[in-house]
Amino acid sequence: MLYRVKHVTHYRYSEPVSLCHNEAHLLPRSLSHQRCLDAHLHIAPRPAVYHERKDFFGNRVVYFSIEESHATLEVTASSEMQLSPIPVPELGATPPWEHVQTLLRHEENRGALEARQFVLDSPFVETDGSFAEYARASFAPGLPLLAAVHDLMRRIFTEFTYDPEFTTIATPVSEVFAHKRGVCQDFAHFAIACLRSLGLAARYVSGYLETMPRDGQSQLIGAAASHAWVSVYCPQLGWVDFDPTNDLMPSDRHIVVAWGRDYSDVTPLKGTILGGVEHKLKVAVAVNRVEENESGA
Amino acid sequence: MSVDSPQSTNLLRFITEYPTSTSSYDEMCSATEALRPHWDYVIRALETLGAQELARRTHEAKRLLRENGVTYNVYDDPQGMARFWELDLVPMLVTSQEWSTIERGLLQRAELLNLILADLYGPRTLIARGLLPPEVVHAHPGFLLPCVGVRPAGTCSLPLYTADLARAPDGSVWVIGDRTQAPSGAGYALENRIVLSRVLPSLYRDSHVHRLALFFRTLRTTLSALAPQRRDNPRIVLLTPGPGNETYFEHAYLANYLGFLLVQGSDLAVRDGRVWLSTVGGLQPVDVILRRVDDTFCDPLELRADSLLGIPGLLQAARLGQVAVVNPLGSSVLENPALMAFLPNLARQLLGQDLRLPSVATWWCGSEEERAYVLTHLDSLVIKPIFPHPSTATVFGARLSLAERQRLTEQIRAQPHLFVGQEHVALSTAPVLSDGGLAPRPLVLRTFLVARDDSYVVMPGGLTRVSPSLDNWIVSNQRGGVSKDTWVLASEPERDVSLLPAAARAVDVIRSRGEVPGRVADNLFWLGRYAERAEGTARLLRTVLMRLVEADATREDTSLPVLLRVVTHLTTTYPGFVGEGAEARFAALEDEVLDVIGNRQRPGSLQFTLTGLTLAARSVRDRLSDDSWRAINGLAQVFVEQPLQLSVAINGLEQLIFRLAAFTGLTTERMSRGYGWHFLDMGRRLERALFGSGLLSAVCISAEDSGTALWEALLAISDNLVTYRRRYRSSPQEAPVLDLLLLDEGAPRAVGYQLMRLQEHVTALPKKTVLSHRSSEERAVLEALTMLRLADLDRLLLVPPGKEEREALDQLLSRLGYLLHSLSDAITLSYFRQTELPQQLVDIQ
Repeated sequence: MLYRVKHVTHYRYSEPVSLCHNEAHLLPRSLSHQRCLDAHLHIAPRPAVYHERKDFFGNRVVYFSIEESHATLEVTASSEMQLSPIPVPELGATPPWEHVQTLLRHEENRGALEARQFVLDSPFVETDGSFAEYARASFAPGLPLLAAVHDLMRRIFTEFTYDPEFTTIATPVSEVFAHKRGVCQDFAHFAIACLRSLGLAARYVSGYLETMPRDGQSQLIGAAASHAWVSVYCPQLGWVDFDPTNDLMPSDRHIVVAWGRDYSDVTPLKGTILGGVEHKLKVAVAVNRVEENESGA
Repeated sequence: MSVDSPQSTNLLRFITEYPTSTSSYDEMCSATEALRPHWDYVIRALETLGAQELARRTHEAKRLLRENGVTYNVYDDPQGMARFWELDLVPMLVTSQEWSTIERGLLQRAELLNLILADLYGPRTLIARGLLPPEVVHAHPGFLLPCVGVRPAGTCSLPLYTADLARAPDGSVWVIGDRTQAPSGAGYALENRIVLSRVLPSLYRDSHVHRLALFFRTLRTTLSALAPQRRDNPRIVLLTPGPGNETYFEHAYLANYLGFLLVQGSDLAVRDGRVWLSTVGGLQPVDVILRRVDDTFCDPLELRADSLLGIPGLLQAARLGQVAVVNPLGSSVLENPALMAFLPNLARQLLGQDLRLPSVATWWCGSEEERAYVLTHLDSLVIKPIFPHPSTATVFGARLSLAERQRLTEQIRAQPHLFVGQEHVALSTAPVLSDGGLAPRPLVLRTFLVARDDSYVVMPGGLTRVSPSLDNWIVSNQRGGVSKDTWVLASEPERDVSLLPAAARAVDVIRSRGEVPGRVADNLFWLGRYAERAEGTARLLRTVLMRLVEADATREDTSLPVLLRVVTHLTTTYPGFVGEGAEARFAALEDEVLDVIGNRQRPGSLQFTLTGLTLAARSVRDRLSDDSWRAINGLAQVFVEQPLQLSVAINGLEQLIFRLAAFTGLTTERMSRGYGWHFLDMGRRLERALFGSGLLSAVCISAEDSGTALWEALLAISDNLVTYRRRYRSSPQEAPVLDLLLLDEGAPRAVGYQLMRLQEHVTALPKKTVLSHRSSEERAVLEALTMLRLADLDRLLLVPPGKEEREALDQLLSRLGYLLHSLSDAITLSYFRQTELPQQLVDIQ
């Protein structure tokens, strides 16, 4: 499946900004099932310094600064992504979740050692007993790990209301839990809190979603913005993704941009400005499927 | 200092009356109550001085510390925060022989921590090899993911290292804490040394104490060598959080001693991938930042977004190798007591050696066995979080109630990796002077290291801190406490080492105008204004108080009511003697005048001005010579005694006027004529011009003749009495007085003279634009000066028929006031423009 993604972030300031420093997690990474054919940022006004590197998690991150006085800032990320379907693992054949929990504590192979950092609290996700309590309804003793996670995802999807008006990025997970409302990143953070509270390793995935309905499939939630979901560590299989906003396991309609412990590690665009006083933000995301022959032309 | 019988230790009262304990080690006396040999000379000498002399020298040390303004800010102290530094006269003594053992241990530990730090922010093999559990690193907030992969400038990851040492009852020395991000204390150690060597000069000289200068010289060389570019003459700045920080004194002190610029985050900006210092003369590149700001606060872009102390983009500049930050960002990951549990093994793995200097025994609760040990031995252990956290303090297990114990156990079980248990170390004791004798106090010795070539240099000695009482085991400046100089006793005298490095080649002659950040210029300008305002106000109030005291009940002094109204006008302490309720206040003159002097809450009062002066001076402490600082340090304390007595107030005013005059003289003579001087003197001139014209407009516009006494008062307040008498040899008259106070450009107190000097300053300042027309500062001064030069004295004094005021004078003075205020605004706008505070772009989906 071939996609063209265009992600436009537009800031308008009430007063001129004399200097800004920014960091963007907007260029998608390449993975076994997704190939980044092309990705670039167009920034207006032109940045004085532009520097791309890999962050701690291997994501592509761009630093740029604008050093002339400006009243608007527009960052357009364009990419062309080739996706292949991810085979759905046999959920019932995965190890009991308690085994995974124990293994994470004691196993010293590379995968497990690296996964262990994702069991710990992170800036946006602090674990506590109430999350574990909620999760236990899905994690009956001895249940295979991924079957349990799948059930947790389904419960979040059915019990939580998608409500873009309710939360901001500063809303704590505990509040999302208390009101059972939020958007994709809230559901991802909540799922992470549940999994980590049980001693499991979970990470936050930031990306895009093809929302157009396909033959025989429903339209997906998350239009006109970037998307977020959760990934859980399972021995042998590695990291397996779940999208609680849509109650499905991401395959070739989910484009991964970056992952981290939570939103704070992979904020699409952040910046510190001098001046500006107030700013208005507009974000638009378009994910378009391209017919294979069209791209070849 | 003469010492008679070196061996007769038991004759010393200091020793016979010194209580010893069997449960801890005493630095001075062994368990058998014998004086340890290396203390003999010093203790004998101190006892020979006698109680009275010791008290005198203690007082002298206290005076020096106060005059130098050595303070330590206590965060929750309502009394204006600054606490004076306390130094005990008895130094902590260590033999060269023992020191070399400690030194070897410290060098090894610094090298080990350096390797660990380099690994954690580099390949992270220690985690991959299972030598360090990931939780110990990843759960610690000092491990900053954005810093991973950032190469340190130079070859060393940990240029500065500080360790807190304690001595166990068996005499062995342990490390109880590692300080790795922005270690403090070296400056206090230096100040202690300077003060003690002045107070006990012979004892210090004869004791062959290892000098500290080499350490600081190495520090400077090491930092210079880290500059990515321009290593010959790099610009090194010391980044401070500001005067509110607990160790601000030290920041200013070290910056001065080492010759670095003291800056705050808002003085710096990252442009073009480099760090720049914004000065009144434009942007200047910065090569090395010695930081005293905690690492998460250093860059609001990549680290703590809510920090106002940092520099957005700093981490990127470091990543690009354009600036050296010392210690590198992220080094606080080593300030983790859990690491201590792993150091012995890491020393074997990384260095192939055993740890020479043990840490206090530590059990990390993240591992099951150790957790079980900690939970079953809570009574005998100290429980600490692996990083300081407001909700989990360090606790002594034995002091917990049953409920607290239960709660702690639950906390540990819920997040075991966040806790350690540590052995409770009984600190050793050292003698402090107390009631004319010696008393033992628990101590902690802070030691300092700086990297040099492939290893480190250890400061010989360090900062010894003792707790306020024998049974208080927490040694912390925040909780009060006393410090000691630490003497490592050399077997033979040391050669003198100057801090100035031997130049490898001839040094270029530098005549820089000085780099003055806008914030510093702002503070210097206001220091000048406040100092002048305080002096003017003090002269005015002194004149008034003298008249009050000398008032002759039989003769009414008609000038007094006028002067009292002048007080209200010039201090803007309305309503005072002019507004509503003035009658009542005239009836209780003294109370109102004393309130205008001493009420710190009242804007415009003398005390209020002195508070402003102190704040401005503290912010530019590093720019003032020690003598200038001494002149004004403590001025805010002159009138603290409440309720203020008339006699105290008069004495205080005298003292104030004298010290402010000394300050003016010292700064005029000592400050080099860089931009800093221009701003200080501009502030002073501007304020003096404002004060002079304000005085004239309050007194001279009214045509009512208040008699000679008033003119005399005017001359006294403006310090012109002598000049006038010499010139005119007659009682004062209005025309000559007005000339002397307003127009005469040759009279240093006249408004015209101030304007002339202001014009010189304004012309000398750097211009932001290359426009051909005059700047708004220049225009304001030019208009004011021209106006005075064209003024006709007779016309100014004329009272138009049917009017009661001198209209021409009124017009001229109000225009003059307007121009002076415009000048101040223009200077502010051109040079101090507060850097805008950084704000975050919040990306909400």
